[in-house]
Amino acid sequence: MGTASIPLSRQRPSTGRLLLYAVTGVLLVFLVAPIAVVFPLSLSAGELLVLPTPGYSWRWYADFFNSQRWLLATYNSFVVGILTTLIATTLGTLAAIGLYLGRFRGKALILALLSLPMVTPVIVTAIALYFSLSAVGLGSTLTGLVLAHTVLSVPYVLLTVLASLQAFDPNLLRAAASLGANPVQSFYRVVLPLITPAVATGALFAFATSFDELIVALFIASPDQFTLPRQMYAGIREFLSPTIAAAAVLIILLSVFLLMINEAIRKHAIRHILPPTDRMP
Amino acid sequence: MMTRRNLLAAALIAPLLLLVFVSFIVPLGATLYRAVEDAEISTILPKTTALLEQWNGEGVPSEQTYLSLMNELREAQEQQKAGPVLNRLNFEETGLRSMLLQGLRASGQFSGSYKQNLIALNPRWGDPHFWGLVKRSTGPWTPLYFLRSVDLKLGPNGAVVPTADEEAVFIKLFIRTFEISLVVTLICAVLAYPMAYTLSILPQAWTNIGIMLVLIPFWTSILVRTTAWFIILQREGPINALLLSLHLVEQPVTMIFTRFAVYLAMVHVLLPFAILPLYSVMKGIKPDYMRAAASLGAPGWRRFLRIYLPLSMPGVASGALMVFMLSVGFYITPALVGGSGDQMISYFIAFFTNTSVNWGIAAALAALLMGMTGILVAIAWLLVPGFRSGGVRV
Amino acid sequence: MSDPIVVFDSITKSYDGINTVLHGLDLTIERGEFVTLLGPSGSGKTTTLMILAGFEDPSGGTISLDGRLLNHVPAHQRGIGVVFQNYALFPHMSVAGNLSFPLEMQGIGRAERDQRIKAALDMVKLGPLGERRPSELSGGQQQRVALARALVFQPKLVLMDEPLGALDKQLREHMQIEIKHIHEQLGVTLVYVTHDQSEALTMSDRVAVFNHGRIQQLASPATIYEEPANAFVASFIGENNRLVGTIATRDATYCRMALEDGTQIEARLTGDLAIGSKAVLSLRPERVMVGDSGPNANTFNARIEELIYFGDHTKLRLSLGGSSGFMARTSFKDGLRDLQRGASIPVSWSRDCGRVLPFMEQE
Repeated sequence: MGTASIPLSRQRPSTGRLLLYAVTGVLLVFLVAPIAVVFPLSLSAGELLVLPTPGYSWRWYADFFNSQRWLLATYNSFVVGILTTLIATTLGTLAAIGLYLGRFRGKALILALLSLPMVTPVIVTAIALYFSLSAVGLGSTLTGLVLAHTVLSVPYVLLTVLASLQAFDPNLLRAAASLGANPVQSFYRVVLPLITPAVATGALFAFATSFDELIVALFIASPDQFTLPRQMYAGIREFLSPTIAAAAVLIILLSVFLLMINEAIRKHAIRHILPPTDRMP
Repeated sequence: MMTRRNLLAAALIAPLLLLVFVSFIVPLGATLYRAVEDAEISTILPKTTALLEQWNGEGVPSEQTYLSLMNELREAQEQQKAGPVLNRLNFEETGLRSMLLQGLRASGQFSGSYKQNLIALNPRWGDPHFWGLVKRSTGPWTPLYFLRSVDLKLGPNGAVVPTADEEAVFIKLFIRTFEISLVVTLICAVLAYPMAYTLSILPQAWTNIGIMLVLIPFWTSILVRTTAWFIILQREGPINALLLSLHLVEQPVTMIFTRFAVYLAMVHVLLPFAILPLYSVMKGIKPDYMRAAASLGAPGWRRFLRIYLPLSMPGVASGALMVFMLSVGFYITPALVGGSGDQMISYFIAFFTNTSVNWGIAAALAALLMGMTGILVAIAWLLVPGFRSGGVRV
Repeated sequence: MSDPIVVFDSITKSYDGINTVLHGLDLTIERGEFVTLLGPSGSGKTTTLMILAGFEDPSGGTISLDGRLLNHVPAHQRGIGVVFQNYALFPHMSVAGNLSFPLEMQGIGRAERDQRIKAALDMVKLGPLGERRPSELSGGQQQRVALARALVFQPKLVLMDEPLGALDKQLREHMQIEIKHIHEQLGVTLVYVTHDQSEALTMSDRVAVFNHGRIQQLASPATIYEEPANAFVASFIGENNRLVGTIATRDATYCRMALEDGTQIEARLTGDLAIGSKAVLSLRPERVMVGDSGPNANTFNARIEELIYFGDHTKLRLSLGGSSGFMARTSFKDGLRDLQRGASIPVSWSRDCGRVLPFMEQE
């Protein structure tokens, strides 16, 4: 379904097509290989980041988990990430519902303002927050970092939830009303369950955005507030030890884990939430 | 009924709007305002500013003005506030910082007229042009930072003139930023097109694997991917080890800190942003169009040029705009794997904010970068259908 | 005898304050009745249903249910079952969950809920499918779930908005009969919206024909078909020959209408038409007798322009009275097999079959 090929006759793939497959295969390797290469490097028994490794060991992971600085950075990343996710998901979802419900002029402007952090180059956001957070005494605090990350990640929640609301069949609300549900019951029993996948996806995006964010942290975090990316960046600049590769592997594993959750949510939504008519052959 | 609904809507939107306003819009506005603000001299040297107000620009100002400038400057220095003033004046003309510091040091032994003493120390103290520069710096606004960020400045008589060649770095910086972004965008588009096409025609099981392999780097942080390249491209890194062991090269090849490394890492980071919109557009092109074209007598390449290419263009446009928009603002990747000649605008914004403290220039560059991105967003918003609902994670 | 359940009194509706969708609608629906609102799209029939369900507010007039004024009662307090065109089944709930929803809203206990859900599913012949998701059902099954959901909480009144529009022809005809049976079984009042005239004629006790925001005729299916009140109803319901002419002579019941070429036709008169006024003759193709003429008031010779074969009948396009689009419908029984294009053939019809109606400018 939905392919662009022309199966006029069943033949073996043409040379052109084989070439296409080959190019695609090489490019997929190009996309994944640099990420994969970090895994053996992190398991090296040696001091240098070279391949082949002189042998395998867990020593750099041990180093990571015994280092005050890496542990603090991990802790900070999770604290900031979780707080950011909670605030961004709550406020973003509420605002999306508000924008969906509202019937007033200027909705497009509000949406544009709220999405502005997404299209603003991060460096600009970073220096803006650097100047203003230090002006109000929030420079070098986790609070400042949470505020900054919330602003950066909230557009993803807002846009994802808004899109799912706009795809929502208004007849479902009418049906709920005709069956005796008041507006509050309709919201809890019909709207909320149907936008939950979008809210969850938005939350994952928000967490990933905060967890991966470096540039703002570069400007407003002093060593006590270093997050994992910030600590990694400092490590690269100082001394390139395989501990960095170990940290990279841990971050990659978390990213892949988030991606898997997101795929599971998507599959669940396709199976259970999409209106039946969209799935009819 | 209508109003109650809107009231509820407003109550739901308000908390986020407030948050974004307070912790984004206001800081952004304040930062961009720094690009034209000119308040250092007038706030730190208020008396001197007032005295210069009365000076008509002919000849040299009064003895009182000399005295006040020295006193206020000394006072500022004792409170560690003199830096901004010295920076501001030095930005007006290189060399003014040392001239002022020299005067300040010598003023302890002055007896009699400050004016005569200072002019004796350095004849420029008697130059009306110098005082003109000081007066011009008393604000409240200045076009200087914006002019400087496009390699222009104000001449002695207030006319806009090009800056000296050794200071004219910004136009080159913009050209370099555009060049890198354009090359990265082109490479991404050229690579993404056949890839997205293949993914759109493969059997579903293969497509799922392929898309997964695109999504994994998409979800992995830019820093981690850049770090991977940083490690791989080292002189002692895996690539050089491989090349040496295959005897393809005699000496390790220098790859890290080159333009090549910047292109390689940036393409790696941004390629998924080009593939995903293209793939979703191509997936939606019904094979019937191509079959119809075939039945109407079009050979393969003409079917592609006349039917498939135009139908897939929205995907190309949206992917390319996204990649270009992100490239223009790139910072971490060039900073880590590029050399000093490969840094882009973002790097200099950071540089002028942190290292060589000149917030006016940093703000002017930030405003220009935002303006360029704004134009790109506007183009995308107007031209590319589906861009608004694209929602791609940056 | 008369026991009205729904009364629309001068209901008007305008969405933008400029274009009026309903012009002072008066409509009384009797208890237990099956009323169909029939009309082309944009005629106001769906708006009428939306106002009754409480999804739209009327711009003027009053509407009452069982004597209770409905104007300010929100939809969820009206207790009216609705079947939507796209079914609007909750996709995140099972079939049983969908049926349970209105019962939970009424605070009915678990045991009774289960029992009523089972009864409703049995009624629509979906007994074993309670645990399925709507997305796992075929279109016809989804339609049955929607029906069961609208009935399970025992509303006094059920509204259906083109409920069979998404089904294929065979399934649609099957469901028409099933809905009719359910209506007879439960005795519930049913208001049904459709643009399909055969659906309206098959199912309803009464049909309200809508056009341009007004009810053109409200009557039983037979009356609507046989005695259309005006030219719009005549042309909208069933196939119809329309011949324009002027009234030549008339008495209380019948008239003779002169066509442009001088042909005179005798037919039943509807409405008060003076001699010399412009009028339209409406005549169903199946009332025209082809070949053997019989003792009819109207007998003419017509030329066959075209034969269209349908299997169980054949349609003839004829030239008659200056028009070449006169349709007649015949079966092949009486040795008419060798009719040929271009041949001349006698046709006739009783004066009771043709109806002369006032000419309406908009047509």
